[in-house]
Amino acid sequence: MTFKEEVNKLFGPIAVTEGKNNEFYLPIEEASLQRAINSLAENYFELTILFCAQNFLTDGFTLFYVFERSGFEEILILQTALSGDTVDSIAKKYPSAAWYEREIADGFGIRFQGSFDTRRLFLHETYPLNFHPLLKSFTNTKINTIPPSEENAYTFKQVKGEGVYQIPVGPVHAGIIEPGHFRFSVIGETIFNLEVRLFYKHRGLEKTAEGKTPQECVKIAETVSGDETVANAVAFCIAVEKICDIQTPKRALQLRTILLELERVYSYLGDLAGMCVDVSYPVGASPFFILREEIFRQNEELTSSRFNKGIITIGGLTKDIAYEKLQGLLRYLSTFKERFNAACLIDSTYFSVIDRFETTGIVETQLLEPLHITGPVARAAGTTFDTRIDYPYGIYKELNLKAQSQPNGDVYSRFNLKVQEVYDSVRIIQNLIGQLDVGSVSVPFQIKDGYALSMVEAPRGQNVHWIYIKNNLIDRYKVRTASFCNWQAIEHAVLGNIVPDFPLINKSMNLSYAGTDL
Amino acid sequence: MFKALTNVFKKKATEDLQFKDVEFEAIGFQLKEKVDRVFGRSLAIRELDAGSDNSAEIELSNLSTPYYDVERFGITFVASPRHADVLIVTGAITLNMEIAAKKTYDAMPAPKFVVAVGDDACGCGILDGSYAVLGGADKIFPVDLKILGNPPTPKMILKGLLALVYKIEKNSH
Repeated sequence: MTFKEEVNKLFGPIAVTEGKNNEFYLPIEEASLQRAINSLAENYFELTILFCAQNFLTDGFTLFYVFERSGFEEILILQTALSGDTVDSIAKKYPSAAWYEREIADGFGIRFQGSFDTRRLFLHETYPLNFHPLLKSFTNTKINTIPPSEENAYTFKQVKGEGVYQIPVGPVHAGIIEPGHFRFSVIGETIFNLEVRLFYKHRGLEKTAEGKTPQECVKIAETVSGDETVANAVAFCIAVEKICDIQTPKRALQLRTILLELERVYSYLGDLAGMCVDVSYPVGASPFFILREEIFRQNEELTSSRFNKGIITIGGLTKDIAYEKLQGLLRYLSTFKERFNAACLIDSTYFSVIDRFETTGIVETQLLEPLHITGPVARAAGTTFDTRIDYPYGIYKELNLKAQSQPNGDVYSRFNLKVQEVYDSVRIIQNLIGQLDVGSVSVPFQIKDGYALSMVEAPRGQNVHWIYIKNNLIDRYKVRTASFCNWQAIEHAVLGNIVPDFPLINKSMNLSYAGTDL
Repeated sequence: MFKALTNVFKKKATEDLQFKDVEFEAIGFQLKEKVDRVFGRSLAIRELDAGSDNSAEIELSNLSTPYYDVERFGITFVASPRHADVLIVTGAITLNMEIAAKKTYDAMPAPKFVVAVGDDACGCGILDGSYAVLGGADKIFPVDLKILGNPPTPKMILKGLLALVYKIEKNSH
């Protein structure tokens, strides 16, 4: 059955408009929204993201409920124009919607009736109560903050009982780590409940993008999260390229893939090292740190930026990468595998490391769909979901990748999964360098108006970008990184573990604060 | 006993690292000499992320990895602001981090110094017009030194620290 037939089976012969990038828009009246959501839930559609845009085609608010369904490469988007500023919550059917609804309530002032959590999300106590930055009536400018008071205080979930006490941690942490607040409720040493409060780093990226040209916004996409620079820049550019019908040259797509996989490799090497550090085993961590630094230096050789910033652009790359440099990378990678092997052996054969890794921080498989957990966290919990394979972009379809998977969902599974995927990424890079196309790495283009959704598999999982271009300028830019969803998994994964294992579990999931807070 | 002896003589599990970065080493040892004299052999740094994209943090943590290992030069990243001589600030100060950032600075004992690392913390990043940020670190602290870059490389950060120590030495005479 095709995707359209599947949708028609549920909704009858209804007008579905095809989007620019394999996404299908289904206009749904406000009154029949709940019924539609229910039937999607019954038919195993998974909520990818929920976001809002103001004055999209018509005046007022439009909500976009984005769904994916395993087995299909197409994406279904329910598009609901609101008559006012209230709508029924869907968080009881789709728990992952809870954060999205709070995000939209902050950004646009929309009220979600019947939701179980109505606290503010990215606007903390210092923001005035009636302030909604994403409204078109607000021009991006400095605002007056208010002092914290009882009225705007944030209330944490209270766990009460004999012997229960709370450990507040953050926002400023003990190491060189991004800011975030963790509220542990603990009995003895065992974690009874964890509440994560983030968005300390909210920088207003989505609003800052509005009114800028798409070319200027590549930089904003890069800054979503520094160690996902290439992934987010590529996702942004794919969306713009689809909107403007730009045919990106093959060589640029191949080089982008090399850079994407290099990013995965250095990111994973950092995680593997970090996991060893967090079980106090620096001997095991050092070889990974050494390899990671060497990849940073390879990046610098290729693009003169250790994070590959400034190389991805709309229509291809800002500059070509010379043959000698790629041969240099190839020479380096020929020794990489053996040294990486040796590094892994140090850890995977040491009993006290395995003892700390195994059965720690288990992410249960039944959590994955309701919270839309993606990336290595999901693949280490028994699934094979990988955006590169399930929703291929660029040249990934031609690579015939096979998804890695580990069964247990614990730290050890995530460690092993990342080890396997490093080998895969290195192989992808080696093969690609051998068969690069010749020719230009960019094409001239013209910006057109329109909208499109794009998804990439960043090192942390599925990143989603949605762009709406109006009068050749960005009118709405929505980003959702994998971490936004995966953060909600950690609140479950730590339960029953001891507090000293929290840093280890956190590191093994490698969650981005910047990418969540935007 | 036998096991202990064989452990001593058996092939090392790790490899020797080939240092090629002569310039980095030179800056490092120059810094060590200054830190020995001006800071009594130890320069304690507290890192504060006030809203960066995380790449500056990655480069700062890289300073402690085997390739750089700045602890050789008397530089330590400490867990508490109470132990710190220098506050390294990254990222434009967000409204949500303003209070926490001020508290961190206030918790440091005097004399204290602030170094802004990266374009955003220096007030020249792309977010300067955003409602959600105050701007560079100098909006809320007296900043002693700015290290530009998006992000600056570990070598640039070390060079910056050397400049800071020179500056402090000069001012203390």
